[in-house]
Formats: sequence, structure tokens, C-alpha cells
Amino acid sequence: MMQRVWALALVTCKEGIRDRSLYGIFLFALFVLGLNIAVAGFFMRDLGKVTVDMNLAALSFAGLLLVFFIAINLMAKDIDKKTIHLVLSKPFSRGEYIWGKYVGLLLVILFAQAVLLLFSCATIASVHAMYPNYFAGFSWLVFFVAVFFVYLQQALLCAIVVFFSAITSTSFITLIFSMASYIVGISLEEVVFYLRSQAATQEVVASAALQRTLEVVSWLVPNFAAFDLKLEAAHGLALDWTRLGVTCGYGVMYIVILLLLASLIFKRREFN
Amino acid sequence: MAGQRSKWLWLLIVLLLPVYAQLHTGSWAQRAELRQSQSVGFLVPSQFSRVLACGYKGLLADYQFLRILTFFGDRSLNQQPPTAEDWDYFRDSIDVITDLDPWFYDPYVLTEGLLTWDAGRIEEANALLAKGVRYRTNDWRLPYYIGFNNFFFLKDHAAGAEYIMKAARLPGSPSYLPTLAARLAYYGGKSQTAVLFLKQMLAENSDERLARRLQLRLLALERAAQIEDALQCFRHDQQRDVVKLSELVSSGYLESLPEDPYGGRWGILKNGRVFSTSKFVEKKKTDVE
Repeated sequence: MMQRVWALALVTCKEGIRDRSLYGIFLFALFVLGLNIAVAGFFMRDLGKVTVDMNLAALSFAGLLLVFFIAINLMAKDIDKKTIHLVLSKPFSRGEYIWGKYVGLLLVILFAQAVLLLFSCATIASVHAMYPNYFAGFSWLVFFVAVFFVYLQQALLCAIVVFFSAITSTSFITLIFSMASYIVGISLEEVVFYLRSQAATQEVVASAALQRTLEVVSWLVPNFAAFDLKLEAAHGLALDWTRLGVTCGYGVMYIVILLLLASLIFKRREFN
Repeated sequence: MAGQRSKWLWLLIVLLLPVYAQLHTGSWAQRAELRQSQSVGFLVPSQFSRVLACGYKGLLADYQFLRILTFFGDRSLNQQPPTAEDWDYFRDSIDVITDLDPWFYDPYVLTEGLLTWDAGRIEEANALLAKGVRYRTNDWRLPYYIGFNNFFFLKDHAAGAEYIMKAARLPGSPSYLPTLAARLAYYGGKSQTAVLFLKQMLAENSDERLARRLQLRLLALERAAQIEDALQCFRHDQQRDVVKLSELVSSGYLESLPEDPYGGRWGILKNGRVFSTSKFVEKKKTDVE
């Protein structure tokens, strides 16, 4: 089974790397990294923080573009172009198809992020060399941990893309649903805690129905903000390893459950 | 035929280019005028901007900080003194930026450089700096700034000493800090206090615009301190106060009365501190040529 999943993953990965949009995304990320070198000097003291902010923003935004444009395209192609019949006639199950595609997407993103990370490290090192006195709080370890969590966030988003591709018939709907999930997931935490703090001071009392809806949404959509370590990396703050472990486990568990659900639904799906 | 058509298209493009150039220049000039006449920029409250940042809170804080730097840079370039409304905007912006990223050091430096000296809003500056103290727990400079503000502007020596001592206990603080509290208490509201402080701030700062303002103020304060020193010597020797500052020159305590770089005239307050009629504020250009 693992062999078949891996074989499909490799095919998906090769197809993804051949996608021309990848060059566009690389160019965009490289532009932001170049901009970083130009802009860093505008600030007064915290140049290290600004550099890390821009680098992580470039990596994570490039990742979002990869997921929304390349991953969705890779998932939807088989169904849109009816090649799914050909693929499913091969000797592997629909469940294996889902897992194979997912691992393939992870490989594409891993490849792209690894290339971008090399450029990013070069950018940080050169700004560091230009302004050595303004990198007091910077730590490579925290930076790499933050990059790993950026990758984990994209892995989660890929699982969401695979799930919606399994239940919808067009890539556009998958795109809209995945984007909506991302926006809700990244802003949910702020809204929940804001309402809680307001309820505590009795300034704005949210209705019970709204509170309950938010509670339900927080179970359905992953809390992407938990994977955001950009501020910690920017200031080289001490990391709480237990917190990171819990977050990592939370993400992996969400991915596994969502993909199992996706394979269940995909097994019952009929193609015409 | 096709070649003929593309020739016409090229001609059209060549004709349209100067029109575009004209409109482009006009549009940028309009924007420059608009920005100058706008009293304040818009600001999204932090409850919303934290959500709208979509996970890019640090980057949004950087962008907002650049905007506020440009806004006050424009004001200073056009010699437009900021209005009370502008200062409200400044305070609220720094509040939002430090809500987005409370560890970001630059906004606190800018607050100490502008909101105290230029706007005279000491309590508001201290409130913003106190937020920084809560987050940057190992940074001695922020409690040091609050301590200085208490000493120099608010004349609250007890609170000032408390903050300076707090700063002295933090790692990396200069060894002179523990004795500085005592020196500051001795000088109190005198110009020497500010000279010591500004020298340290200048050493910390890399922004040219802020550095220019600080250097000018440092020069003015050094001259005020020079006069204050001469006054003290006069009082010590003659057992009385001077009636006019020119007395210091005629009796040989000063070679000449130094010039106020802001263009004001010197005077003496009852507490012995020297002041200038310029209040150390850059004058707006009134001559329109």
C-alpha cells in the first residue's frame, strides 16, 4: 500500500514541479526578499525584526499561493479532465489515491519551500552582515522552528484542499471553500478572545447564539493562528516546547482525521 | 495590411504616451498636495487590525510604523508644525502598532523622541512606554526612558528614581545607571539632566531625521547647561543672583552669551533653570517666495 501511495505521490510531485505558476511564485517571493534588503535601512533599531518579518511573510505567502493555485489545480485536474477514470482503473484504492495525492502535494510544497528557504537564509545573512549591530534578539533556531510551523500550516491547508476536492465537483468551489477556511481559521482566535475579554468587562455582550456558533466553528476549522510563530521568531523570544508539541500534535491529528473523512466520501462518490 | 495596422497601433501608442506622462505627473502632484492638506491619516483600531492582518501582524506593524515615520517626516520637511490632531493620530498609531507587535522597539524610541519633547504629552508617552516594559522584560532602556520623563518633565523624583533603579537591575544596563539616579535627583529639572539623556538616545538611534532633531536639541541644551553652570559659579562667588544674563559676560563668567540654535532669546526661571523664548521648537518658515 505504501509503495502505491508513494508512486502516486511522486507522479503528483513531478507534475507540480513542472507547473509554470511555480516560477511566478518564486519570482514573487524573491522580489519580497530583495525588497527586504532595500527596506531594512528605513527602520531605526529593530532591523533584525523587520528582516525576519519580511522573510517569514514571503515564505508563508508564497506557500499560500502554492496551495491555492498549484495544489488545487493538481487535485482538480483529474476530475475536470476526466482522467480520473484512467487513474482509478489502475490497481489502487480510492483511499490510496487521496493519500497519494496528499503526500504528492506535501512534496511539491516541501521542494518549493526548501528552495525559498535557501534564498531567505542568504537574505537574512546579508542584511545581518550589513547591519551587524541591530540583530541582538535574532536566533536561527527560533527562525527555523517558525519556518517548520509555516510548513505545517500549509500541510493543514493542503488537507483542507484535498477534502474539498473530494466532495466538490469544480476547482473553483474548492478554491473558495479553502480560502474561506483559511481566513476563518487565521482570524478565529482573535475574535474568540476579543469577545471573551469584552464579556469579562461587560462592554459588549455577545449573544449566546453567536458564542455557540463560534464554539462550533472552532471545532470544525483549524486554528491557524496557533501555528504562527512569526512574532516569536522576529524577536528571538524563548520557545515553550510543550506548547509547540501540543500544536504539532493538534495539526497532525486534524490532517489525519480530515483525510480519513475525505477518503470515506471519495469512496462513495460517483463520476460521470 | 497587417503591417500597416501595426504601424497605426505603434503611432497611437506613441501619441498616447505623452498624454499618459502628463496625467501621471498631474496625479502624483495632486496626491502630494492632498497628503500635505490632510490633517491626519486613517487608522484601523487594533481590535480589527489584529483580525484583518490575517496572520501577518508583524508585517502590518512594520508597514504602519513606516507610514507614521513618513507622515511626520513630511510634516518636518514642509516645516508644518504638527497639530493637536496630528499628535492624537501619532499616539493612536503607536498604540495600534504596539498592540500588533508589543515587542517592536522602534515605536517606543519614536514615542520618547517625539511625544515628550515636541508634543509635551508626557503621561501619554509614559503609558505607551509602560506597555513596552510589560513585554520587553529584559530591556533596560524603556524603564530608563520613563524614569527620565518623570525626572525631567514631571519633576516626580521618587517615581523617576524607581524606574532608573529598575532599569539598572536589568541585564546589559550601563554601569553608571545606579549613580545616575542620584545625579538626576541632584540636577532635577536642570538642562544637564537632558544633556545626559539625549547623548544616550543619540548613541542608540540610526534614523537620520530623528538624529537631526535630537542633535539640534542637544546643542541647545548644552548651551543652556553652560549658562546654568556659569550662573551657579556666579551665585557661589557673589552670594547673589544675576539680574540680567548679560551680567555673566560683563563679569567674566562667560566669554559671550551662546546663541540659541532655535533662534530664541535666553531668560532665567525662578528655580535657576535657563529657558529660551523659542521653547526649543523649530520655527515655521513664514517667508513665501
